[in-house]
Amino acid sequence: MATRDLTTVDPRVDPATGELRVLAPGQSFKSVTAKIADIVLTPHTSLGWLMLFSIGGAGATMLLVAVTWLFLKGVGIWAITQPVAWGFAIINFVWWIGIGHAGTLISAILLLFKQGWRNSINRFAEAMTIFAVVCAGLFPLIHVGRPWLAYWLFPYPNTMNVWPQFRSPLLWDVFAVSTYATISVVFWYVGLVPDFGTMRDRTKSKFGQYIYGMLSLGWRGNVKHWMRYETASLLLAGLATPLVLSVHTVISFDFAVAILPGWHTTIFPPYFVAGAVYSGFAMVLTLAIPLRKVYKLEGLVTDRHIDNMGKVMLATGGIVAYGYGMEVFMSWYSASHWEFFMMWNRMFGPIGWSYWMLIACNIAIPLTTLWVRKWRTNLAFMFVMSLIVNTGMWFERFVIVVTSLYRDFLPSSWGTYRATKWDYMTYAGTFGLFLSLFLLFIRFVPMIPMHEIKMMLPAAKVKSEAVEAGD
Amino acid sequence: METGNEQGQKAGLTLAEVRRGLAGVKGKKYWRSIDELAGTPEFEQAVLKEFPDAAQEWVDPVSRRGFLKLMGASMAMAGLAGCTKQPDEPIYPYVKAPEDLILGKSMYFATAYPSAAGALPLLVKSDAFRPIKVDGNPDHSYNKGTSDAYAQGTLLDLYDPDRAKKTTYRGDNRQWTEFMETWRSKLIAAKSNGGDGLALLSATVTSPTLARQWKEAQAIYPKARLVQYDPVSRDAVRAVLGAKDVQYSLTDADVILSLDADFLSGSSFPGFHKLTREYSERRKLATGAKDATMNRLYTVESTTTTTGLKAEHRLALKPSEIPAFAAALAVALGVSGAAAPSYAWTDEQARYLKALAADLKAHAGKSVVIASEQQHPSVLSLALQINEALGNDGKTVFFTDAVNPMPTEQTAELKALVNDLWSGKVDWLVMLNANPVYDAPADLNFKEAMSRAKVTVHLGKHADETGSLTDWQIPASHYLESWSDARCYDGTVSVVQPLIDPLYESHTAHEVVQAMLDEPTKSAYDAVRETWQPVLSKSGDGKSADFEMNWRKVLHAGWVDGSAYEKAATATVAKVNAPTPVGKDAIEVQFRPDPTIYDGRFANVGWLQELPKPVTSLSWDNAALMSEGTMQRAGLAEEDIVEISVNGRAVKAPVLVVPGQPENTITAYLGYGREAAGRVGSGAGYNAGLVRTSDSMAVATGATLKKIDGRWGFAVTKSHYQDHRSKFAGGQGTGNNSLEADEALTRGIIREATLEEYKADPGFANEGETHPKVEKEITLFPNWDYSTGNAWGMSIDLNSCTGCNACIVSCYAENNIAVVGKQEVRIGRNMQWLRIDAYFEGDLHAPKAHFQPMACQHCENAPCEQVCPVGATVHTPEGLNTMVYNRCVGTRYCSNNCPYKVRRFNFLLFSDYETESLKLMRNPDVTVRSRGVMEKCSYCVQRIEEAKIAADKENRPVRDGEIVTACEQACPATAITFGNLNDKTSRVHALHLNERSYGVLADQNTRPRTRYLAAVTNPNPALMESPVEVAPTAG
Repeated sequence: MATRDLTTVDPRVDPATGELRVLAPGQSFKSVTAKIADIVLTPHTSLGWLMLFSIGGAGATMLLVAVTWLFLKGVGIWAITQPVAWGFAIINFVWWIGIGHAGTLISAILLLFKQGWRNSINRFAEAMTIFAVVCAGLFPLIHVGRPWLAYWLFPYPNTMNVWPQFRSPLLWDVFAVSTYATISVVFWYVGLVPDFGTMRDRTKSKFGQYIYGMLSLGWRGNVKHWMRYETASLLLAGLATPLVLSVHTVISFDFAVAILPGWHTTIFPPYFVAGAVYSGFAMVLTLAIPLRKVYKLEGLVTDRHIDNMGKVMLATGGIVAYGYGMEVFMSWYSASHWEFFMMWNRMFGPIGWSYWMLIACNIAIPLTTLWVRKWRTNLAFMFVMSLIVNTGMWFERFVIVVTSLYRDFLPSSWGTYRATKWDYMTYAGTFGLFLSLFLLFIRFVPMIPMHEIKMMLPAAKVKSEAVEAGD
Repeated sequence: METGNEQGQKAGLTLAEVRRGLAGVKGKKYWRSIDELAGTPEFEQAVLKEFPDAAQEWVDPVSRRGFLKLMGASMAMAGLAGCTKQPDEPIYPYVKAPEDLILGKSMYFATAYPSAAGALPLLVKSDAFRPIKVDGNPDHSYNKGTSDAYAQGTLLDLYDPDRAKKTTYRGDNRQWTEFMETWRSKLIAAKSNGGDGLALLSATVTSPTLARQWKEAQAIYPKARLVQYDPVSRDAVRAVLGAKDVQYSLTDADVILSLDADFLSGSSFPGFHKLTREYSERRKLATGAKDATMNRLYTVESTTTTTGLKAEHRLALKPSEIPAFAAALAVALGVSGAAAPSYAWTDEQARYLKALAADLKAHAGKSVVIASEQQHPSVLSLALQINEALGNDGKTVFFTDAVNPMPTEQTAELKALVNDLWSGKVDWLVMLNANPVYDAPADLNFKEAMSRAKVTVHLGKHADETGSLTDWQIPASHYLESWSDARCYDGTVSVVQPLIDPLYESHTAHEVVQAMLDEPTKSAYDAVRETWQPVLSKSGDGKSADFEMNWRKVLHAGWVDGSAYEKAATATVAKVNAPTPVGKDAIEVQFRPDPTIYDGRFANVGWLQELPKPVTSLSWDNAALMSEGTMQRAGLAEEDIVEISVNGRAVKAPVLVVPGQPENTITAYLGYGREAAGRVGSGAGYNAGLVRTSDSMAVATGATLKKIDGRWGFAVTKSHYQDHRSKFAGGQGTGNNSLEADEALTRGIIREATLEEYKADPGFANEGETHPKVEKEITLFPNWDYSTGNAWGMSIDLNSCTGCNACIVSCYAENNIAVVGKQEVRIGRNMQWLRIDAYFEGDLHAPKAHFQPMACQHCENAPCEQVCPVGATVHTPEGLNTMVYNRCVGTRYCSNNCPYKVRRFNFLLFSDYETESLKLMRNPDVTVRSRGVMEKCSYCVQRIEEAKIAADKENRPVRDGEIVTACEQACPATAITFGNLNDKTSRVHALHLNERSYGVLADQNTRPRTRYLAAVTNPNPALMESPVEVAPTAG
């Protein structure tokens, strides 16, 4: 049905199915390998890469400065105060972790659901996940008042014979995030092993051969290897799938378990997960659109991918919108004064603008436009949209953290929150860190899984299968 | 410089010089004196020879100080400096009399804080000979153990690192003996002409001994004079009563009228402790409402104070309208000879007057009219006449001799002194504990006048605005460092007993005046003993007794038995006519002592600077307090800077709106805008004294306001929004109410009823939709069992609490709470464990206020404990919610989950680990918290443990009342009660069973151990239908 506005002569559309193609026609094993591997193996580092890397490096340096000052002076350099004792650090933590979700979802859940189109984007989406978790993981560590004692959150045997307090959701966070980070890294690395083998074989430099050789763990591409590889991938996907749901669920417990109106909500777990996927796909788009342009990957990352990601955003955005709607409804339907006042204050209090920012960026703009395929496949539009959604999702966390806290139970202790330059520097610094890591990734690691793309080529399939699969 | 060079030329340090330096020094001479000698030029010379490399550093004043620090450190290691010790004279501990010091065991000494409003008898806790906590003397009939914010703050004043440390002459370090030599030689020279040209300017003399010394000096130097001056004077009392004082007793007063008398806010009002206690005792309601009786308070006042906000009926009038109102009331009550200036009272005001007069008449003999001392003298005069006409004299009103031994009209005397200074009649001007350069009326231009004296001397705790300009600056001893005496409100004499030897080389006014007498070096101790020798050498029946034994008794108990003044029922009251009020449109500026730093003497006390002022919750500043209407008419907004021009002078002040302030009235608190107060007080606020002239000490009229550029930035510790919500959204729809107060009432945080309502429905506090009960079983985690052992709990009576802040400062001292500074308070990081929440109910032009002390509620089902990931906040078996500072990593999750927001976080390193003098002050039983750690009220767990250990030793349970928390101890209204809930005979057990007892936010299933007693008011039915609170706004 969605094909009505496209003519059948459109080269982007597969005439057999009427859907957009996952891979542009005319690809071969060789061309795919060359295309992807050469991005890494070229000895010439482009000027653009160097410029971006210096920007990222500057940002990461700023982060280092901000964190150093933080350790020297204390968390008081941030805007957190009474009653808003959590601020940018927690907002950014939740935001970055949310972004990470798309990678795991793409690599694990879509793998299990046999969504072949995911193969083009899963590698860099997973890399994005890991770097986002790195940025996210930084915040809980540095936001505590005495960071040198942050390890007390881990249950380790010690002479004091003291254990963490297992009723605290912050402790659950420690387990959830560290598990998530571990699985993500392992899954990503396992997926990379065959490609590292390819790189080892193709690189001309001795050093490269040595390093890629180490990383490829002796991959020779024989059938036994492939069999084990497939099994490991499936098992890891099975392990990672519940994590997609559990991580953000546990993070939402940080809020939902508290008694604060605006936090104490049973709807938080699904709404947080949906929000995370929403922002994660937005971030994948933010990265994919420039990448395919710069590295001329239009043949591998096609409009089909952009379109599909738009659809996922539409779906998750809808869930998020339902969550917002339910919050408002329940604040009235519960007949609880606390809830009602919280919602009134969220909308019309002194920081009410942040709520309307969130509604505009997360619901009003995306959910009215993403229905149209023409716009979903418009790269400029989707790029801007991805930025809007990520802004909106940041505001969602801001609204949850700040507007629930600054006017809570006792009116005498109401306050406000105004971020300081150190808050902004730390937040902006994590972008620098993320950018630096991501640039290193695309420079040294094949950003698209060659072997998985090759599996999708018609040449890799039995004839009847190929027709069935719609290629 | 002259003498410095001369001495510098002498080679080395001769034995003779050392001896000379040692002359007149008491105590263990050798050790103390070498230290002193270290400051002399000879010593500097010697050091220079010894360390030639340091010569360069020596010249540069900054690194010279650094060098001295090093030298000081090495001297301290040699055992020269740094130790504290008890005074040489015998002083006697209060109850526990250890043979010798037992470390960790505190001693208590009775003493008194002298103040012009009457001394406050104290019992000071001393740990290892360091005074560490100031509290009221529980056995004294005046204050019964209670205290106030100022008195609590004097502890930090003692350890103020910015105190003057050395005697200086024009900036050079000198010895006290050198001053004495100069002073003595002047006196010897002046003897022949009777002391002509000698003038002493002192803060109000509070010591009978000093008065005696001065009287004796005057016999020798008849032409010398002593002028007393305090910026907050009691001149109105002098004008009306001469050398008499008036005392009120509220125990039998059913109706109380305050005529601008702020007797509930703090001890700037004489008799505060007694009046507050008696007021609140009449408001305590036991279970069983039927026969409940209460007093009723009317307040007619010119600015919003807690006295006004606690009143059943408050009328806000412009300052100049108050005398006219008093006169109109006197006429209405038929006071003979009273004449009221004709004035157009509004209907509301007239109705208030009528109802008030009727109520007073109905309670003749059982009522009292209390007048301000900072008003036109006619207010006091009329109030006393009204009391007489009502037959209150001898029942609720008494007259005694003046508490201050030398009562004078201070402003007039100061004026005369300044005139003499200008005409060159003063040779020597000796200022004792006064700071006239800062606080003398602006028109006297005291700074210039002072320079006309040949020699100026300033004895003061700080080298303040005055001390930095005088020839001689002599450090004055703190009252906890020196001997003196003083009388409290009822005239009872207390001996001011020191607890510590002077920290610096300080001296007292006693010594300066004694130098004029025959035994010039007689110590203050001997002088005080001499004063009381005749009294204490007699026993009660007039027979001779052992002086030494009685002296010991006095020091032990803290007062001289039977020294209270005789209370007379009558006195000669000067009749002063009320002036006609200035027009309603004329802007009046009134000057009042500051509720936290008084007249500026506590400007460098961080606790008091950071203390939010009652009503405004403003800390670290004063402001031009005005009504919203006045502000808008002048085109101003809050935090704007306004130039107030009055009396031909101008001052720039920031604007702050106060609910209930009369129109066209600006209230300016004194004591701010200090330039040489010290690191804490200098630069805070603006100096209202710049527009205060000698003929408008209370009120200046005809001010003009001009907005000038810039914004001020206040540190107000509470938010204040107006409720613009529609009725659907839970508001009033008017926009005139306080959002916070509307919410507090809706949420059942504040519960109140009138006496009639209470009688009809005694359980009002625990009924209704907003007060749901939560079943104990509804909890995810199993409940703790608290049915055995101790279960600590607290009850706070909101009917008694007046919001005076004494509890907060007491908490500061007891729990080593850090002072964070204005910028941190501005963003909400003040560290007080206890705060007093104030909610303004109703139209903000005429609000009704509710005060609610709020500290950790020690929830049995504490939300904070459940979320801490490291278990740093845990529950004790006795029900205390405790913080384990060591374990805290600082996630602040507990604070977020605390519905009362009573947790305080060390966002930065707030505690001062550097300043030496502050280390002496700290309570050794309480950890000084470092950066990154959460803290909060502990129910004074250190006191609980101390009492439990004592009880264990005697193998008995802890007795009710044995544990007194710091806030409870200070509270003049006895609003706070602490005890064991499992002890069925304890007071707190009974109070928790009181039908008015309710838990704040108990619907959250927190099960707080602190519960509140709902307030009950006793309004006059005649004024109930449409309550009058304030004149309708003019614009």
